[in-house]
Amino acid sequence: MTEFTLYRHNPLLDPAVHVWGWEIPVYLFLGGLVAGLMIIAGVRLLIMRPTARQALVCCTVGPLIGLVLLSAGMFALFLDLSHKFYVWRLYLAFEPTSPMSWGAWILLFVYPALLANALTHLPEAIPALAKRVPVLVTISDYILARPRIVVGIGLANMAIGVALGIYTGVLLGAMGARPLWNSAVLGPLFLFSGLSTAAALLHGILVLTTPDDERPQFADFLLSMVARWSQARPLDTRIAPTLAQADNSFLTIELGLLGFLLIGHLTSTAVHQQAAGLLLTGPYAAVFWVFVVGLGILVPLVIQHLELLHRIRHTIAPSLLVLSGGLVLRFVLVAAGQASHWATALP
Amino acid sequence: MNAPFFKYALFGDEMSLVVAFVIGIGFGFFLERAGFGNARLLAAQFYFRDLRVLKVMFTAIITAMVGAYLLGRLGLLDLSLVYLTPTFLVPQIAGGLILGAGFIIGGYCPGTSCVSAATGRIDGMVYLAGMIGGLLGFAEVYPSIERFTKITAMGQITLARQFHLSYGFLVFAVVLMAFGAFVMAELAEKFIGGKEPGPGALLEPVRTFTPVRRFAVVLTGLGVVALFAGSPYRSALAQVDTKQLALDALRAADQVTADQLADWLVEGRNDYLLVDVRDAQSFAAYHIPGAVNLPLSGLNHDFAQRNERVVFYSDNAIHTAQAWFLIRSLGFPSVYILAGGLETWQEAVLYPRAPAAGAAPKDQIDFAKRMAVAKFFGGSARGATSEVANPVAPVLPKLAPPSPTAPAPDNAQPAKKKKKEGC
Amino acid sequence: MNPYWAGFGLGLVLLASFVIMGRGLGASGAFTTAVATTVHAIAPAHAEGNAFYAEYLGDGATSPLKDWLVFEVLGVFLGGFLSGALANRLKFTIEKGPRITNPRRLLLAAIGGALMGIGAKLALGCTSGQALTGGALLNLGSWAFMMCVFGGAYGLAWFLRRAWL
Repeated sequence: MTEFTLYRHNPLLDPAVHVWGWEIPVYLFLGGLVAGLMIIAGVRLLIMRPTARQALVCCTVGPLIGLVLLSAGMFALFLDLSHKFYVWRLYLAFEPTSPMSWGAWILLFVYPALLANALTHLPEAIPALAKRVPVLVTISDYILARPRIVVGIGLANMAIGVALGIYTGVLLGAMGARPLWNSAVLGPLFLFSGLSTAAALLHGILVLTTPDDERPQFADFLLSMVARWSQARPLDTRIAPTLAQADNSFLTIELGLLGFLLIGHLTSTAVHQQAAGLLLTGPYAAVFWVFVVGLGILVPLVIQHLELLHRIRHTIAPSLLVLSGGLVLRFVLVAAGQASHWATALP
Repeated sequence: MNAPFFKYALFGDEMSLVVAFVIGIGFGFFLERAGFGNARLLAAQFYFRDLRVLKVMFTAIITAMVGAYLLGRLGLLDLSLVYLTPTFLVPQIAGGLILGAGFIIGGYCPGTSCVSAATGRIDGMVYLAGMIGGLLGFAEVYPSIERFTKITAMGQITLARQFHLSYGFLVFAVVLMAFGAFVMAELAEKFIGGKEPGPGALLEPVRTFTPVRRFAVVLTGLGVVALFAGSPYRSALAQVDTKQLALDALRAADQVTADQLADWLVEGRNDYLLVDVRDAQSFAAYHIPGAVNLPLSGLNHDFAQRNERVVFYSDNAIHTAQAWFLIRSLGFPSVYILAGGLETWQEAVLYPRAPAAGAAPKDQIDFAKRMAVAKFFGGSARGATSEVANPVAPVLPKLAPPSPTAPAPDNAQPAKKKKKEGC
Repeated sequence: MNPYWAGFGLGLVLLASFVIMGRGLGASGAFTTAVATTVHAIAPAHAEGNAFYAEYLGDGATSPLKDWLVFEVLGVFLGGFLSGALANRLKFTIEKGPRITNPRRLLLAAIGGALMGIGAKLALGCTSGQALTGGALLNLGSWAFMMCVFGGAYGLAWFLRRAWL
């Protein structure tokens, strides 16, 4: 790549260049969230006794939601494509140097992995469905009777989840013309942000389904409807503190990586410093500090820490905050990245 | 220390929003701690059962009042830069009555309804929805009542100025009144509401010097100090630090070059005030775009906010320097002179001179930029030999209505912010 | 919390706002900005033609929601939530007197809110923006406003005793 192509391809210089709207950040967010759900589901499947039958939030509810969310994300990505009818061409070749190609192929493997994980314990979580579709019980029995398959599913979920999470960041990093995205930290950052949102989502679901005394009242009505419909057994609520703990770790790592990203830029060339300045003091500073760092990371960290200390009750507030913080992080990085460019450093 | 920090540009607009968020957290926290997330507790105020609203509000008012007074008096905080909502007496009285009715009917005020909604009170959420409806309705009828909302305009005015009382005396009086009201409130709670003064009350039936009483004594003491300390507003005639002024003048730190000013104008910066100190006639003939006309005789201490960056220019170097000194001595910290005045502006910006034919490439590039700037302000470049070929001094461009071909000088008018500061 | 200490804390927050920002606290302005922005998104021409909305929309260079009061009120929600959580006061419930039904209480809350919105805009501020902030700065209009708020509320209290007592 030459310098010349680096500083073009920028909506400020070439107004014809397409500016990314809401679709890409939403896709990156949902992709990261699904990656997190996969990794958590894989880990949970591996560390429990394979033969235990249980209604699991991590291994059943998470992957099922993941399937829906991934489809929504793929749809958003599809909306953003200029040539919608040529999607299939991505699958005619594999280009090892193109993150787009990697992504297309990774996405192809996500569906079966998630589905396998969901099916393993599905009959326990949604007995009503299993009663109507008996083949689900057969599949579940088949998988659970063979520990090797269970281990395989778990490992596959973890591996594909990590690949998917890192890919969402690398996708941006591969765009040379945007200095803000020229960082190797972006991959891990999006991976851990995805993990934190996934843990928060599962934690939120558990909070909504915990027994009465622990649960905020407004959820009662909604949940009793769902529970009656699915005749579900109570989920494994004992894992809620573990999820909160895990979420705190992910958020801490995410905060650290965000710091690395900015420090890396601040100690780099002038264009990179300017790009970091967009977030630190520039036009995105208020949104970045308040919504991403404050409401998205620090506040949920404090709330979940207090929850773990039994100082306050578990509420869905931290999970809502982490989820929206993750979404805003994608929006801010995509928007600020597109505003950052090499031309500012030219005289 | 120059406070308010924001007004002295210690941080920018973006950071001010982060500050807003943090201050908001504190505000919400103490509102909730005060019990204001509960409509019954708030309404109890108006039945003399629990006069919490009065106690919290007036404690907050006297704390902030005494604090602001002392910081202002010590010269740490410039009170004239703290935004004072202008007074429109009749609309505010009407608004107050309506708001009071809304308070007792709905049980909240806007701030308290936020914390009640945040803690899950459904009535608080409904109240917020109702408020949004009210705002919509008000906005829709606003054009027909706009005249009413603007009557009895009195400007930004304090009680002290209106009633010609000393500010310090008022501070003392308000502190005293507040503690009187607190004692009355506790008596009312006891005899009407049937609530005995508990621990932490001023009338707590113990003879010890409780923390609340100590707090009351300290605040009253500060009020007494205020009584004798005078006005917290910085006086118009600040002391002149001659040494500092001399140093600034020596280092030329007080000068802005014509090129610099041209760059500011082209960039559309709005963080300074450009003042033309010539007479109105010369101003009308030509002035630098965006300048305001203020002859020397019109300069006084309230011609601009004290934190404003002021740039003076004239065609008379002595007048400019005198204006600079006058305004510096009035306590304005950042005052500048356009170096060389209008003459240099004309020479360097409006009619830049082309470099000689064999000049270095750097000068050529430089000149190209100057030419563009000159065109922006309606001037033009002169040839390298113009001194010989064109003995007539170039005339200043007329202030004609902008033609569609030439960029209008008015482009350069600094865009002032329109958003309002108040609540 | 003891009301005097809560008030002291509130006063310190207000003082910090004076010192750091050179302005006081507020609440209703944030909602006005939100309303103006929403109306502008739905019917831009209508919003720009209305002097009231136009005042809150700014010059269009940045989003009107990037406003000091909007971010401050966001903090108020969070601060209130944190304090309520720490004191174990988080509860989905309706605060009302024992002699009034839920629908009536909610109706009154909506009416009160609407009146509050109108009054706050007429008076250029609400209890936080005018009474608290202006009170501490000895602002003439604020003190007149504050007296009228208490006057209005006490005047109507007797008629609404069934709602609260």
